[in-house]
Amino acid sequence: MATLTLERVSKIYRQRRRQAVHAVIDVSMAIQDGEIVGLLGSSGCGKTSTLRMIAGFEEISQGVIRLGSRVLNQLRPAERNVAMAFEGYALYPPLTLRDNIGFSLLRDKGTKAKAETKVRQIAELLEIADILDRYPPTISGGQQQRTSLARALVRSADLFLLDEPMSQLEPQLRAILRARIKDYLIEHRMTTVFVTHDQTEALALADRIAVMEAGVLQQLATPHELRDRPANLFVASFIGEPPMNIVAVRVERGPDGLRLTAEKPGGGDAFAIDLAGAGLELLAAIGDRQRLQLGIRPHLIEVGGAGPLKASVVSNQWLGDQTHLGIDIDGCLLVAVADGAIAAPLDSEVRVALPLRSLHLFDADSGAALSHGLEPALRGAA
Amino acid sequence: MSFLVIDGVSRRFGKLEVLRDAALSVERGETIAIFGPSGAGKTVLLRLIAGIVAADAGDIRIAGESVVGLGPEARDVGMAFQNFALYPHWPAFENIASPLRGRGMVEADIKQKVQQVAELLRIAHVLHHLPKQLSNGQKQRTALARSLVRGPQVLLLDDPLRNVDAKLRYEMRLELPRLLRQFESTVLYVTQDYKEAMALGDRVGVLQGRCFQQVDRPAAIYNDPRTVEIARQFGDPAINLYPCRPVPGASGAGVEIFGVRVAVPDRLAAMVDRPCLLGIRPEDVRVELTAGPGAFPVELDAVTPLNVRTALFLRSPDRQEILATCSESEGTRFGRGHRPVFARLDAGKILWFDQATGERLRPAA
Amino acid sequence: MSRSTPLGRVVRAILLVLVGLFFLFPILWVFLMSFQTNEQILRIPPSLFFVPTLSNYVAIISGRFETTAGTLELPFMHNLWNSLVLSVCSVGLSLLLGIPAAYAFARFKFRLGENIAFTLLSFRFAPALLVLLPLSLYFQEIGLSDTYTGLVWVYQLITLPLILWIVRGYFEDISPDIEHAYRIDGHSWLATFLKIAIPLARPGIAAAALLAFIFAWNNFIFALILGSSSIQPVTVGALAFVTASGIQYGQIAAAVVFSVLPTLLLALYAQRYLVEGLSLGAVKG
Repeated sequence: MATLTLERVSKIYRQRRRQAVHAVIDVSMAIQDGEIVGLLGSSGCGKTSTLRMIAGFEEISQGVIRLGSRVLNQLRPAERNVAMAFEGYALYPPLTLRDNIGFSLLRDKGTKAKAETKVRQIAELLEIADILDRYPPTISGGQQQRTSLARALVRSADLFLLDEPMSQLEPQLRAILRARIKDYLIEHRMTTVFVTHDQTEALALADRIAVMEAGVLQQLATPHELRDRPANLFVASFIGEPPMNIVAVRVERGPDGLRLTAEKPGGGDAFAIDLAGAGLELLAAIGDRQRLQLGIRPHLIEVGGAGPLKASVVSNQWLGDQTHLGIDIDGCLLVAVADGAIAAPLDSEVRVALPLRSLHLFDADSGAALSHGLEPALRGAA
Repeated sequence: MSFLVIDGVSRRFGKLEVLRDAALSVERGETIAIFGPSGAGKTVLLRLIAGIVAADAGDIRIAGESVVGLGPEARDVGMAFQNFALYPHWPAFENIASPLRGRGMVEADIKQKVQQVAELLRIAHVLHHLPKQLSNGQKQRTALARSLVRGPQVLLLDDPLRNVDAKLRYEMRLELPRLLRQFESTVLYVTQDYKEAMALGDRVGVLQGRCFQQVDRPAAIYNDPRTVEIARQFGDPAINLYPCRPVPGASGAGVEIFGVRVAVPDRLAAMVDRPCLLGIRPEDVRVELTAGPGAFPVELDAVTPLNVRTALFLRSPDRQEILATCSESEGTRFGRGHRPVFARLDAGKILWFDQATGERLRPAA
Repeated sequence: MSRSTPLGRVVRAILLVLVGLFFLFPILWVFLMSFQTNEQILRIPPSLFFVPTLSNYVAIISGRFETTAGTLELPFMHNLWNSLVLSVCSVGLSLLLGIPAAYAFARFKFRLGENIAFTLLSFRFAPALLVLLPLSLYFQEIGLSDTYTGLVWVYQLITLPLILWIVRGYFEDISPDIEHAYRIDGHSWLATFLKIAIPLARPGIAAAALLAFIFAWNNFIFALILGSSSIQPVTVGALAFVTASGIQYGQIAAAVVFSVLPTLLLALYAQRYLVEGLSLGAVKG
């Protein structure tokens, strides 16, 4: 149990007669003992390459990976004392699930009875206890995945690496299994790094999430931070379902202060927001930019009440515990989410407010975050 | 008289009976979401209506006329397949134009109609591309355009968003209702995602056990499920279920759960001493840091943020698991978990089920 | 993680060259032989370097050959023409019959379907000699002996099973939903067969046709027994080079080159279709 540090790690795939592929570019992070970190991004962003470098299945092109004080770069996977759950499960077909899961325990020099108890415990947690005596080819993909996960989690290792651990899970089991796994990891103080493209999964499991895109680490922060203070437009629109609403705005400077005028997708002006309460720091962050990207998370849009903006309801989807509203404000389509049910029939008009404290402003060209609410974004937040 | 009637339809494949006596009535212009686990027969049902598969027994009527025995080309239906089923050797334009050619439309009209639908689905700029040059999202929209272009009386959509990535799926979920309204077709939409079913259907038909278990408005399916299986499938996280046995008491029957007594509604007095299931949805479990009336102590073992809300993983003193959800802001109070808290069940929202049959114990009709 | 060292690459290249030489050498040698006279060919030790001559080709094309024993008539070009007619007609007939049959086998599950299909395939396993004697008798009776029609009909035993089995596989690979979609669009099953199934199975049809052509072209025994000199293909016609004045190796070699050329060119041309993938991304994934 120790800190896992990545210092300026890069992975470059070189092939003859083809351009070198920079899969991972200059990634640095420090993962504390007992922390759960998720590597999140779309396919090809470099998250799996990073995980495989930590595990030892890929050579580290540049940089250093340390576990505690040990440098891992030259060590083979078996020498690193890490446990891994593979995306392709990699179960041993001739062994029963019980033996698959308990395989490494035989090596770890515990007693047989203790090993059996551990196997049973983890199997019950992952709802595979009643099929322990079956063989991998006879069970479903979701069950195979849980077995692969059990096999990794039952070991005692310094580090646990999970590659897309729950992608095949039946939807009904997801919520409860995520909760149980998180509980298990916390209880046993297991330092864990997992890879996923599903941001819902990342948000649920991780203490911190490393969002990656095109090989570059975009932001490493808690789910809370990522949602409330995204470092750039990519992170802002990647995290969250429904995703953050993004609207292009034009900055107008008048005697009363700044005003942001939203622009419709096809061109033309839509609604406007006055930054009357903006402090000097916020104004400084905006600088003399003419155009910005404005973001607001769906559940922070205030629908009903005495909001200053008028919107027409384009869709009203009630999902039991929450309602997703599609609203059209002067030609801009936004999504709002509210708890419970909302009585707003289609094509009716509602009043909407976009509170200043919930707005995020991004640079129109680079996508870097300029402000979150009334506070400027800190430089280099990662 | 309903526009589309499925009347006692049965179909088996070898030894496997997929549908038995399935019945459904759909009104003109209605969108019915057909929901069920994989293998339940949803796709088979659509194929029966389209005419690709023949029923072993039963009748299917569109606008009062039976269509049994008619080939697919003679029925006025449009279908969008789960795996798109585009014609690989023709560009997107020809794919979309195919139903119009099948009805012998004039070339100029075909061009106009295809352009119209393509613009509506935002694929007008890739009409000349072959399917293999299209992204998954564009393929899905092309398949949708093909099914819509002729404005068929009945539109069959077989899980069209299944093979599309999460972001796009959400986008389409918002767009589709508006789109479908423009065409005024009667729509059958098959899905395995309960959120899609609730979002898109005027009514939801739950297909399970070879026939429709319940066909109702989404609110009724969610709040008034007919079986425990239906209750379990609608809602994320799934409903909490606890076996219990009502016992008679001074103020009526009740059950003892988590150390508190919950009253059983009067109408269910007949269930005394019979095995029941107490169901409570996560959003109806209130979690507080301090004790209150009707609350019982629990251990908060994990806090897992969901997209808009937060899930709290609780364990009662007798080691039973409870999943509760709360709003995001409330969830931040609990930190990382592993601390004692207090939980309370919203008694009015409890759903009671007969454990033996799985049937919901409802108020007398 | 490939670790190909320079040494490894060199060794691999050498091995590839050796294997290639082993298989290509006979063909190369025959090709060289076709430009040599008999004396050059039979010289010991054999040599790679020689003065080439076109006399063999001239003899074959013109149909006459001057030898010490007199002038020989070489009807090789006529044989070439026979091969062409027989192969093209056989394959053509097989395609006409086989493609719809393959479709039926692929799409319609009828009783005894597999049995019938396997029976048709089994014709390829049976030794031709089993049927040849009775067949030749029947042919003489019904007057099909020594006719193109008779031989083309018999060649179906070679070509039809091939077309059937290969094209059936390609039809099975087409997702049925694509055809269903076309039917739902309002087209009859015949239109679906012609406009969807056949175009999508084109690589398979090309491959099967090519293979069938090669097998028909190479057939020896049927043509030998059931035909006479007027319809002899090149396979049988090669016997003519064994003459009273010795075996004309040079001309045999030239004849071989000519015989191989059509199938070789066809294979090169159709290669494109063989490599072409089938589903072309129309189905998800």
